Amino acid sequence: MKTNAGNLKKGEFIMYQGAIWQVQKADFYSPGKGSALMKSRIKNLLTSKNIEYAFKSNEPVDVLEVTCVEMEYLYKDAENVFFMDQRSYNQYTLALSVVGDVAKFMKEGNTYYVYVHDEKPLTMRPPTSVKLKVMETEDAVKGDTVSGAKKAAKVETGVTVMVPLFVKVGDVVTVNPETGEYGERVKE
Amino acid sequence: MRINTHPGNIKNHTILQRLKRKTREFLDENSFLEVDLPVLSPALIPESYLEVFKTTFIFGSQKNNLYLTPSPELFLKRLLAQNVGDVYYLGKSYRNSDPTSTLHSFEFTMLELYQMNKNYFDIAEILLSLLNYLSDGKKITYKGNSISFSQWERISVAQAFQRFADVSTGDLFNHERFLKVAEKKGYHTQSFSYEDVWSQMYTQEIEPRLGMNGYPTLLYDYPKEFAALAKLNTYNLTAQRFEFYICGVELGDCYTELTDWKEQNIRFKEEQKRRKQSNRITHPIDKGFIQALQYGLEPCAGIAIGFDRLASIFANVSSIEETQVITISTDES
Repeated sequence: MKTNAGNLKKGEFIMYQGAIWQVQKADFYSPGKGSALMKSRIKNLLTSKNIEYAFKSNEPVDVLEVTCVEMEYLYKDAENVFFMDQRSYNQYTLALSVVGDVAKFMKEGNTYYVYVHDEKPLTMRPPTSVKLKVMETEDAVKGDTVSGAKKAAKVETGVTVMVPLFVKVGDVVTVNPETGEYGERVKE
Repeated sequence: MRINTHPGNIKNHTILQRLKRKTREFLDENSFLEVDLPVLSPALIPESYLEVFKTTFIFGSQKNNLYLTPSPELFLKRLLAQNVGDVYYLGKSYRNSDPTSTLHSFEFTMLELYQMNKNYFDIAEILLSLLNYLSDGKKITYKGNSISFSQWERISVAQAFQRFADVSTGDLFNHERFLKVAEKKGYHTQSFSYEDVWSQMYTQEIEPRLGMNGYPTLLYDYPKEFAALAKLNTYNLTAQRFEFYICGVELGDCYTELTDWKEQNIRFKEEQKRRKQSNRITHPIDKGFIQALQYGLEPCAGIAIGFDRLASIFANVSSIEETQVITISTDES
């Protein structure tokens, strides 16, 4: 679908110079000399590289129509992440570099959303938060009452997250998988 | 659209307000006259790349269109023609179709000043002194870069295109050759004007390199297509215009002012024609402006500075919104 670059929004997928890119940022910019521009940061979904590009706001851009499919996360290896569409039982593969750090917070067997275009998976839609059990962390030292103090905790996916001192082994906490930041302690 | 309150921005807002006070102190000290001006006007200077806000004055059966001023230039030049001397305005200006972004807002604060019998490079001198005054003669830090206002990094537009975009001066000023070079670089040129593609390449390849070497950058002598209200240089290839940058952020635009009313009239008509072609709001051309030039405008130069942007640099924040306590967001959600 052709649209003017002025309509580009974060998260959309575009075809540009023969490759598929995801828009990471699209900021209106009017230099006052010539037409307005959309200063964009786009990520190449093949190489995972980001580039900055200023589109003319009235320049035609090919926006891809995508569907967001719920899939079960099966496992990952050194290069790829494997999913299964729970309805069709088709398996899909995404490069680990495309999924990014979010993969460190994903639990096998959980379901996640994957963007699909033309039967091909493009990338994941990262969840806003994931629930993870704390496997290892030091007990809080008594009398340590500095508010906002944090300590390291290893969660069930093996990654380390900074958590408040009151968090104990066995607690379940929420984490933003895009930033790796602790959200809150939750009851399971 | 939504009204947002940002109590967390009070510290940065205080920096903005302090810069306004210090600017007034400095300009008053240097014998500039501050004027307050209307922001609603029945006629405007036609500028093809700006959209305006239109409203209506109503009294009984009387109805008149009024437009919010995208800059105070039309009023200030009238005053200059009346020999008020060096003058400035520090207040709001309005540009429609500018959604809120890190560097834009449809309502913003502008500093516009003029000096009589001076050219654009003279303005550069007083501007540097102003920046020094605002920073108390110290370096400022923006996004991890230390900036000193002890001198300009000067580079002409032609030098910048040669150095940063590998575009020769011969190609830069020739429309056909320039579009060919741009096409080769992968820019979309079909059905776009020289101005549009030039501006895109400028934003993509030149701007991010300006003001990155510890000093603000003065980029001067723009192609005549971007002359607007500036006087042309000898050979009519470039205009006496400069813009200045800190860490890739454009902060101000300066001209040696065009005082030839006939030339100004021709440019106005061209701009008005372009406005119509791009379906912009039609507004009456300010004929009084031309009359003021006819009456006689002494040689002068002036600069317009995006004051919110300047404050965001001094506050070391990446968006102008972070210097405001109340903002109107243009998101549709």
